Amino acid sequence: MLSRIATFVLLSLALGCGEPRAAATVGGGGVRDDFGAPVAGGTTRTPARIVSLIPGATELLFAIGAGPRVVGRTEWDVWPDSARLVPDVGPGLRPNVEAVLARHPDLVVLYASDDDRPAAARLRAAGVRVIALRIDRIEDFRRAALLLGAATGELARARLTADTVARALARVRAATAGLPRPRVFWHVWDAPVITIGRGSFLDELLDVAGGRNVYADAASPSPTTSIEDIIRRDPDVILAGPVGAARIRASAAWRAVGAVRRGRVLVVDTNLVGRPSVRMGEAAASIARLIHPGALP
Amino acid sequence: MRRTAFWIGGLVVLAALIVAAVAWGTVPLAPRDVALAVLGRGDADTVAIVRALRLPRVMLALLVGAGLGMSGAALQGSLRNALAEPYLLGVSGGAAVGAVVAVAAGVTATGLLPLFAFAGAALAVGAALLVGRAAGGRADPRVLLMAGVIIGAFANAAIMVALAGAPPNTVRGALWWMMGSVSGADWSQVAWLAGYTAVAAAALIWFARDIDILALGEEPAAGLGIDVERAGRRIYLVSSLLAAATVAAAGLVGFVGLVVPHLVRGAGVRRHRPLLAGAALAGGALVVLADLLARVAHPPAELPLGAVTAIVGVPFFLVQLRRLS
Repeated sequence: MLSRIATFVLLSLALGCGEPRAAATVGGGGVRDDFGAPVAGGTTRTPARIVSLIPGATELLFAIGAGPRVVGRTEWDVWPDSARLVPDVGPGLRPNVEAVLARHPDLVVLYASDDDRPAAARLRAAGVRVIALRIDRIEDFRRAALLLGAATGELARARLTADTVARALARVRAATAGLPRPRVFWHVWDAPVITIGRGSFLDELLDVAGGRNVYADAASPSPTTSIEDIIRRDPDVILAGPVGAARIRASAAWRAVGAVRRGRVLVVDTNLVGRPSVRMGEAAASIARLIHPGALP
Repeated sequence: MRRTAFWIGGLVVLAALIVAAVAWGTVPLAPRDVALAVLGRGDADTVAIVRALRLPRVMLALLVGAGLGMSGAALQGSLRNALAEPYLLGVSGGAAVGAVVAVAAGVTATGLLPLFAFAGAALAVGAALLVGRAAGGRADPRVLLMAGVIIGAFANAAIMVALAGAPPNTVRGALWWMMGSVSGADWSQVAWLAGYTAVAAAALIWFARDIDILALGEEPAAGLGIDVERAGRRIYLVSSLLAAATVAAAGLVGFVGLVVPHLVRGAGVRRHRPLLAGAALAGGALVVLADLLARVAHPPAELPLGAVTAIVGVPFFLVQLRRLS
């Protein structure tokens, strides 16, 4: 049981946060971020030193060609490879403001949760531009891409990136559209047992990939449950990260779940599917290949 | 008479709680199906729910309760302190640090974890005894308790420091474990805890006469020819091993060791041999009940076991504290 605590699992920022989002708007009158603060567009000069405190935003910045200007990232950033060369400023949530300022940024991108409001205020007080973004869902991605594109002077490439991702998702959806949808239990954590609920990014991704989440009725994006309740919902397939899957297969308690006894525990690449990002299309395809073998090339 | 009623009543209540805890859960099952599933017959899912989930869980809860009850009874007797129990004395906290260190060092074997937890618990005990003694020649029970609470706080802090860089769900998992739970129970855990509990319980029963004498007070005990220091230390260490094994299996479950010996003494049991047995019985029943409540209170999510025992235990502690002062 204890080993679960020490085990290191990368989890999406999308899990564990259920606060209402303030809609960011691009275009129209004033552009505002997800804290409702105005994002000064063309009037300010283009940022030259960016610290990104959201792994998904780091991926986006690299994808739209602003990568060379990223001078700080979180300890969770692992993609693209060149992002690993950028100095790590620690946690992305409740960031260490001093460590961020030590990178001398002129733009900080951080996650728009209430935990981060004090850091945003402190950074602004230090004269640094801050963009707070909430990239929790598939629909948030396009808006974030366009906002970061506008802020970095890479709007055209941001549009192209958003379109490419949308097309990739549409392709996966089309490929699995006519197929029977297996009932899926998504294993996030096992002490306590945590899964994905309606409104989480992974629930959306599973839907695109042609699966049905057995916890789609749970209001929380990351509901806590029990093995008995999973048996009651009787999933056809269990999706888990490499560590979780190994643990499920080794556990006597998990063998009580029919899908586990039938050997239907499939391993997802948690680094790929963890968050709404540039690689969402790839992520959806990887899940579709697991639950619908042969549907995609 | 009162004692006979306690033993018969205790056994009946424990049996009833075990049956209820096996029969009752998130998935509603007919009593007949449960009975058949215990024997391994019937639908595969039902058999799995009963034999792989509920039975080991109930057995683990039983052992955790028995261990904590006996540990509390031995500590209260030998320290002559009605408020002594492993959680409040920092023993459980020290055990938790030992277990976390072991896991961080890559030790995950179910059988080895209790030894690391015991090492942590022994260090905590040593520190508490040192502080307790610094106040005056022999360990003052109140200072000892205070030192234990402080060491428990230090242990919490040490675990939080160890988790500083961990992702949010790891922290959620760690907090969950620190609040105690038997939700991950399997038969190998049950077997290991049963082994540790049997050895430590046998040792405590063996020392039961020493506890009886220590409970008279240090002067009379010394007068009866007992090496008070040595006997006290031995009992303290065995009680810590018992508590450490429960911590390694189920995390921190507080206040069981406090409440249970009082219940048994309330039934008129005074001598420590029967008191220890009674504490095992009552502790087992209490934790099986607490786990049943933890499971059915808010399904499908489960409450932490330690939260349920604390809600019962804290008011009890305050009443005892008032009576004492």
